[in-house]
Amino acid sequence: MDRSQFGFDQNFSGAADDFPSLLRRKGLLGPAVTGPMPQNQIQQQMWQPTEATTILAFKFSGGVLVAGDRRATAGNTVVYDRADKVLEIDKHSIMAIAGVPATAWEMARVLEHSLQYFRRTQLQEMSVDGKVRALSKLLRDNFGFVMQGVGVVVPIFATYNGNSKPEVRLYFYDAMGAQFEATDYAATGSGSPAVRGILYYENNWGRKPLHELNEEEAVSIALRALDTAAESDTATAGVDRSGKIYPVIKIVSREGITTLPENKIAAVFKEMVA
Amino acid sequence: MIEEPYRWVEAIANRREYIEGQLAPGSPIATLGYRKGILFFTLGQTRQKLFEIYDRIAMGAIGHPGDIERLRMAAIELASTEGFSRSAADVSLRRLVHYSLSPVMKSAFEQIYGPPYLARMLFAEVGARPEDDLFLRVEYDGEIASNGATYARARQDFAVLSGTRQSVELMETFLKNKHTPDSSFEAAVNAALDAWSIGHMLLQTTDAKQLPDPAAIAQHRQEQLATAAIEAAVLERDGSTAIRYRSLADNELRSLISD
Repeated sequence: MDRSQFGFDQNFSGAADDFPSLLRRKGLLGPAVTGPMPQNQIQQQMWQPTEATTILAFKFSGGVLVAGDRRATAGNTVVYDRADKVLEIDKHSIMAIAGVPATAWEMARVLEHSLQYFRRTQLQEMSVDGKVRALSKLLRDNFGFVMQGVGVVVPIFATYNGNSKPEVRLYFYDAMGAQFEATDYAATGSGSPAVRGILYYENNWGRKPLHELNEEEAVSIALRALDTAAESDTATAGVDRSGKIYPVIKIVSREGITTLPENKIAAVFKEMVA
Repeated sequence: MIEEPYRWVEAIANRREYIEGQLAPGSPIATLGYRKGILFFTLGQTRQKLFEIYDRIAMGAIGHPGDIERLRMAAIELASTEGFSRSAADVSLRRLVHYSLSPVMKSAFEQIYGPPYLARMLFAEVGARPEDDLFLRVEYDGEIASNGATYARARQDFAVLSGTRQSVELMETFLKNKHTPDSSFEAAVNAALDAWSIGHMLLQTTDAKQLPDPAAIAQHRQEQLATAAIEAAVLERDGSTAIRYRSLADNELRSLISD
């Protein structure tokens, strides 16, 4: 396509283009690497997934609760203790990230801008299926880096579907971009096995199934699960009792996204967990 | 023939006459800065004329739908890539219009073997205070009119777009007297509706030098409201959310209109 010297193509029609390909055209985003890169120098056993964190999400009576601890690590070192891994993508969608922060935050940024770009150019909201697919595509484009052992990202995506049958929807992904819709809960990251155990137990044999919990009960289970994950996983911070650092908890519902204030989380923690 | 300079001038003049003729029936758009934001207002029956461009920028346009669409896409593309690669705060309407849109429109207009853009656009960018609001009108030939203060005239807290120059001038005369930047939303809606009615009335006449009398304006506006739908949008000044654009439904505004 012939580019005009004034910064935009006079014969441009944006209808067929999505935002990531627009960024690639302008050299603002790396090329999509969909196949495995040549592995001459990199031996297979060097590849290890580094999703050092814990994020979880489950449906409760007030929508979907998404929670993430705040620790960022590099190997054995704690780099940052106030990282925010639960990111708002638009008014009704949250992407929570486990994985390499540089890639994950960039991916969230591309996704956020993609949805806005779509809404502005096409004059309508992107459908839930479209949003889920857009994230899947970003993960797939990143696959070459995953195979090289750098840049693996395993997100959770929670959104509210306002269309014909209004409901909250929850998805989790693998590093290659396959999406799975979760019926009740999802967890990813290095601390997730413990969390999955707790959520499975609570959902089946707890006092009530997860989807019947009220907000306070839901928050207390999220805090307990993250604290349990932190007990055995060094990459997960759980609740920092001395530094008074609490996990980030957000709720997606019909009204949009609510970020729980820290004092509210602290109150639930004091009463139900500590 | 364009090797001969005067032929080129003649061709440009013909082209200008043709485009002005094409744009002349375009329904006016009034854009008013008020205390809590910027209001875009027009009445129409068929096509959407108001669009969101970026977090703090919106656009209204008259002209050929295909050309409007290409320019709208280009503006969104430029703003979105800038906002992505730097930050939303770095997206500036002044740069978007002065350095990107205007030169392209000028060169399309002057290359007389290619098609010009049959479009006239009005952009607004909401600021933190009413004094920071920016309004820019871009013509088919790349000419830009801004609301900013120059030694020739005072700063304006509104901008208008219409099919003819005369309609634009009298809408501006009306708003200069009737509109203040600290007005309420309700007052802004009523002033915008009156300005629109004046602009719309003047599209039918050729040599009006003065504003129509208030009774005639009121009658025209009553007639038009009965048949046409209100299309309106605001850019909110409130900085609590990043995206300031909100389109307003017809029935949201009808109750605010005073008789």
